[in-house]
Amino acid sequence: MLTLEGLFVVALVWGIVIILAWFLSKYLLLVFTDSKSRLDRIFLPVENFIYAISGIDSSKKMGWKEYFTSLFLLNVAQAVIAFFILMFQQSLPLNPMHYSGMSWSLALNTVLSFSSNTNLQHYNGETTLSYLSQMSAFKFLQFTSAATGLAVGVAVIRGFAGKTKSIGNFYYDYVRSLTRVIIPLAFIATVILISLGVPQSLGGYSTISTLQKGAYEILYKGPIASLVSIMQLGTNGGGYFGANSAYPLQNPSQISDLFEIGLMMFIPTAILFLFGRMVGDNREGRTLFLAAYAIYGIDLLIAFLPTTHIGEGMEVRFGSAAAVFWTVTTTAFTTGSVNASLSAFNPVVILTAFFGMLIQGAPGGKGVGAMYMIMFVIVTIFLVGLMAGRTPEYLGIKIEGRDVKLAVATFLTHPIIILVPTVVAFAIGAEKAVGLAANSIGFTQVFYEFTSAASNNGSDFLGASGNTVFFNISTGIVMWAGRFLPMLFMLAIADSVATRKRSPSQGLKTGSLSFVVILIVSIFILTVLTFFPFLVLGPILQFLQGFENSFGGVIFGF
Amino acid sequence: MRGVRSLSTAVRLTLISLVICGLVFPIVMTGIGEVALPWQSNGSQVYFDGKSIGSDLIAQNFSVPVFFHPRNDSASGVDPDITMSYAMSQIPRIHNSTGIPISFLYGALQKYKQYTLFFFGTPYVNVLNVNLYLVESYPSIYSPYIQ
Repeated sequence: MLTLEGLFVVALVWGIVIILAWFLSKYLLLVFTDSKSRLDRIFLPVENFIYAISGIDSSKKMGWKEYFTSLFLLNVAQAVIAFFILMFQQSLPLNPMHYSGMSWSLALNTVLSFSSNTNLQHYNGETTLSYLSQMSAFKFLQFTSAATGLAVGVAVIRGFAGKTKSIGNFYYDYVRSLTRVIIPLAFIATVILISLGVPQSLGGYSTISTLQKGAYEILYKGPIASLVSIMQLGTNGGGYFGANSAYPLQNPSQISDLFEIGLMMFIPTAILFLFGRMVGDNREGRTLFLAAYAIYGIDLLIAFLPTTHIGEGMEVRFGSAAAVFWTVTTTAFTTGSVNASLSAFNPVVILTAFFGMLIQGAPGGKGVGAMYMIMFVIVTIFLVGLMAGRTPEYLGIKIEGRDVKLAVATFLTHPIIILVPTVVAFAIGAEKAVGLAANSIGFTQVFYEFTSAASNNGSDFLGASGNTVFFNISTGIVMWAGRFLPMLFMLAIADSVATRKRSPSQGLKTGSLSFVVILIVSIFILTVLTFFPFLVLGPILQFLQGFENSFGGVIFGF
Repeated sequence: MRGVRSLSTAVRLTLISLVICGLVFPIVMTGIGEVALPWQSNGSQVYFDGKSIGSDLIAQNFSVPVFFHPRNDSASGVDPDITMSYAMSQIPRIHNSTGIPISFLYGALQKYKQYTLFFFGTPYVNVLNVNLYLVESYPSIYSPYIQ
């Protein structure tokens, strides 16, 4: 139900985030265009030190193959080291609770998950992971995958802007993303989160006798705030606790809840504005921003339609409006943190969560969201060009056959890596091993698992119950394919348009409001046509069966 | 040769990223937290009679009839709050088992009432806070039930 409370929280958070993101985009322009800044005195020595010990020439221009190879090798090396930390945490320091290492398939799934910015979690962190694993495996990968995503987004935009005739240098983008954007923002966010009540301690978990005689609780205090800041800011989503942001120590109050929603939205929104600034025409950035936020807003309106009660699976302090707002936002921005159990939601809310993850660009994760939006623009321009019988062009650049093929390859990656494994899972009966049946509830949950993995979101119904060899391996492959194949294709397009001749635009006015409408319609048609049969078998069937949530169905079976 | 060089760069950049993001950052933040915001950093613990009785943010096990009870089905399993309507429904039970006037119990809930949205939204109370208030107001009634 659309309530005053719902409208108020959305208007409040949107207003603040959009204004701050506009200013952040100004700063990002300085960071990624090699502009002189007063901050150089602080940051340049650190960056030069990192370049020196890593053997990097940060001024060298890279082609798309070298850019991609560099980022891919770096991500492989990072995943490998995190894998060993998780496997052997019992022999490593900072393990006051003496937790043992993860199984190989769970460790593999987990590092593929965190390095691909997905953060699907088939375990409960507070009862299985040492402080070192939470810090040096997870926080580390959350920072580096965020920097990788931001770098690629900027490189693609740089190619389309064409000012430097190159997509740039990966190491330069990666290092500056960390030193000038992500670490400083995470620092500020961590301090604010601690002040709001999120613990930050290395003192070990303690068992405390509570007020009633004979009762006790385990207080999981750990380095939580420093993880929550980057998990939201980097659109990672992997929480310290199995219950993620429903757990009070990760999200203590309504204020922390809205603050964390704002953190998820901040960088992806700024990148949409950055697009306009880098191509030198703010109207072009406005197009991406308006289309992305219109779709996100439509999802929110649909999700607010059914009445959501504070009941089973919901935390009282947030209320139902904030729970719905969070769930739509975390999927629209492909973050994947949750502040309520997904099973608590009406199938209509789950349907809008699917939309966010299937589109991936409305507004999408930091860096890659803008990349997917550009992909949709190319496909739309091509389709409109076909109808009008004109050569498609964007920003004065002629869009060639190869560009369209690569954009379509990017688009098709998603349905292939979602639909094929979903069908395989039911064909081999993998749903039974996680306690599901082949009905609308089971189908929704398995389809959601692969959709979340492919879009590098990470929210899921399965949680720790998904820790089976089949789901660990299959979602692991899907997460990396969903992360790196689209990056490869889009970098290839960006590199080729970077040097292409630009003529005064004669085709579609992509900076106009009418193009925004065309783009929105095109995104909806492309997405719905591709996934409609699967959505019908899942959340739409659940809705038609009259389910208000997924609790009853799972327990009694249908 | 170029492949070996970029692999060596990847490994070195991985290690320095790990040190900065995975060790220095969380340890520095822990230091700042312990110095500037020690109460929050250590889990917002509530003290009674000079010793910690657990976190303000974590639901406690209240099972005897004289206390307000938390719910057991929420997403985190440790939701510290209950809605005002659920709290109200418990007033007769507490009144019957303790003899505390209904008006006082009602007043206690009003005193600790919070809203899910600043000043509007759904009203709720923190179970530990309101129980602690009852214990402090009626120490002789509650002394057999507490630590």
